[in-house]
Amino acid sequence: MTREISVELQNVSKYYGTEKVVDEVSFSVEKGEIFVLIGPSGCGKTTTLKMINQLIPHTSGNILVNGVDVTKLDAVELRRSIGYVIQYIGLLPHLTIQENIAFVLKLTKKSKKEQNERALELVETVGLQANYLKRYPRELSGGQQQRVGVARALAANPDILLMDEPFGAVDPLTREQLQNELLRLQESIRKTIVFVTHDMQEAFKVGSRIGILRQGKLVCLGTPMEIVRSEDEFVKNFIGQGALFEVLDTIPVLRAIEKDIPIVSEKGKVDLSDEKLKGWENIFVTNDHGQCLGYISLDSLNQDGTFSAGQIEPLPAGCSPEVSVKQAVEEMLWKGKTWLPVISEDEGFKGIVLFSSCADLLAEDRR
Amino acid sequence: MDLLTSAWNYFLNRQDLMFEVLKEHVNLVLWATFFTIIIGVPLGIAISRTERLRDIVLGSVSILYTIPILALFGFLIPIMGIGSKPALIALVVYGLLPVIRNSCVGIIQVHPMLKEAARGMGANNLQLLFRVEIPLAFPVIFAGIRTALVMNFSLATYAVFIGAGGMGRIIMQGIRTYNTGMLLAGILMVVITTVFLERLVGFVDNRIQKRFSLGD
Ligand SMILES: Nc1ncnc2c1ncn2[C@@H]1O[C@H](COP(=O)(O)OP(=O)(O)OP(=O)(O)O)[C@@H](O)[C@H]1O
Ligand SMILES: [Mg+2]
Repeated sequence: MTREISVELQNVSKYYGTEKVVDEVSFSVEKGEIFVLIGPSGCGKTTTLKMINQLIPHTSGNILVNGVDVTKLDAVELRRSIGYVIQYIGLLPHLTIQENIAFVLKLTKKSKKEQNERALELVETVGLQANYLKRYPRELSGGQQQRVGVARALAANPDILLMDEPFGAVDPLTREQLQNELLRLQESIRKTIVFVTHDMQEAFKVGSRIGILRQGKLVCLGTPMEIVRSEDEFVKNFIGQGALFEVLDTIPVLRAIEKDIPIVSEKGKVDLSDEKLKGWENIFVTNDHGQCLGYISLDSLNQDGTFSAGQIEPLPAGCSPEVSVKQAVEEMLWKGKTWLPVISEDEGFKGIVLFSSCADLLAEDRR
Repeated sequence: MDLLTSAWNYFLNRQDLMFEVLKEHVNLVLWATFFTIIIGVPLGIAISRTERLRDIVLGSVSILYTIPILALFGFLIPIMGIGSKPALIALVVYGLLPVIRNSCVGIIQVHPMLKEAARGMGANNLQLLFRVEIPLAFPVIFAGIRTALVMNFSLATYAVFIGAGGMGRIIMQGIRTYNTGMLLAGILMVVITTVFLERLVGFVDNRIQKRFSLGD
């Protein structure tokens, strides 16, 4: 499958006078992914982002948006077709939330009705109540303003979103909530997002790929897993220790779930010659409805593979399928187990995760 | 006390004249303010864009501003004669400085971040000006207009020297005819109407500042 490229930078540089603030940067952003740009303050993140919608013209190199050189496009039209969440939010203080969200639609002379409907739809999309529409930005908390900033960027339904530290100005708790909401939203809207942050944890959490900038140079580019394995001293220092574990926090436990666990019906018997049992210590017992009753250690089975109900041990407390691999591993370490059942509230037993498979995930290359 | 009574009597007897001069006065001031706005605001916005032009324009308007009004009349009469036209021009000249300066400052002080946000969403230059810069600069621009209006209202008392009427007429006539009742009536009228106007625009200004305040 060839992947579609939405945004591409080819050896892009930016000079201010003789100072080179962006230095031969190249990367391409695939359609539907969240591409994170990260680096210390002043490394050129914002500059790079603004060159994509030409708020800042680049000095050399090529920038392609949906395959077209941006210098060949009308800058105003280009910006209207790309959602932009500015650093420090930048809501217009003289306009209501409704007018702020619908600002792009007003610029493109959409009908008042369409503006209002879209504002109503979006304010709910970002998790605010409709009665905020009539308020002014100063009447909202920082977190609420950041939500409006995101809603505003979505107004014209652009395929591409540029987000400059969109969750920069809020407390860690709100920030995490906003990140989760963004990821959930992204599941349904599938935008191509270029996301700037200086928070590594945020980068690991939202990014499908991460580019690390240092003094205008792209020093590292890859999936979170590739980033944590980088040998580069600057990158190692920048992401800090424990980054590996943070990466595990971005992977849902369902990714680590065992696909083929040995199962036996409560009325049946175990075929001890079955290849599937190789490497397993336990076998899981299900009833006619497919519910898991517990497990039996293979050693405790009778010679012929039969067992009695009394031999079945109940499942230990498990984890929910929503937790991350990191959380599951923590749980196992805490309880001194090498495996955990994954139990969903609605559907019951979903399977099990093994400590060893979680470790293997780190060795895996793709995400 | 006698003086006040005579002023009051004068006012009661000559209500018609009082209203006539007030009408002339207000008329002159409103037209002057109107022209001040349509010249001053665009000019102020224009010079907010280029620093060189700004220095030239603000410099020359400041110089005009320092000319005493009688000297300005002396300068205008040979060119335009007497009447309401030169009076109007004189008032516009004085009103321009606060309006131009405030329009310029108002536009300059709009936060670059907000302009960037608007441009980032695809506002073109005109949209940026009319949808973001002017609305955000409006309280400052209005404060300039307020200054010009109130100043013109009191300066217009001099319009009588150039034959443009106004409340100055009563004061002048009072002086010329040693009619202290008339003189005092004229003075009181100027003071009271000026205070009233000041209050009125102050109230409107307050409302505007509140409506447009950024609240932080
Ligand atoms: N208009 C300008 N003129 C000159 N230098 C500039 C200008 N704008 C930015 N710079 C410089 O370019 C460099 C990159 O700035 P940029 O805003 O892209 O940094 P950043 O990575 O977004 O930083 P932060 O995390 O603080 O937002 C900085 O060193 C900055 O001083
Ligand atoms: Mg920045």
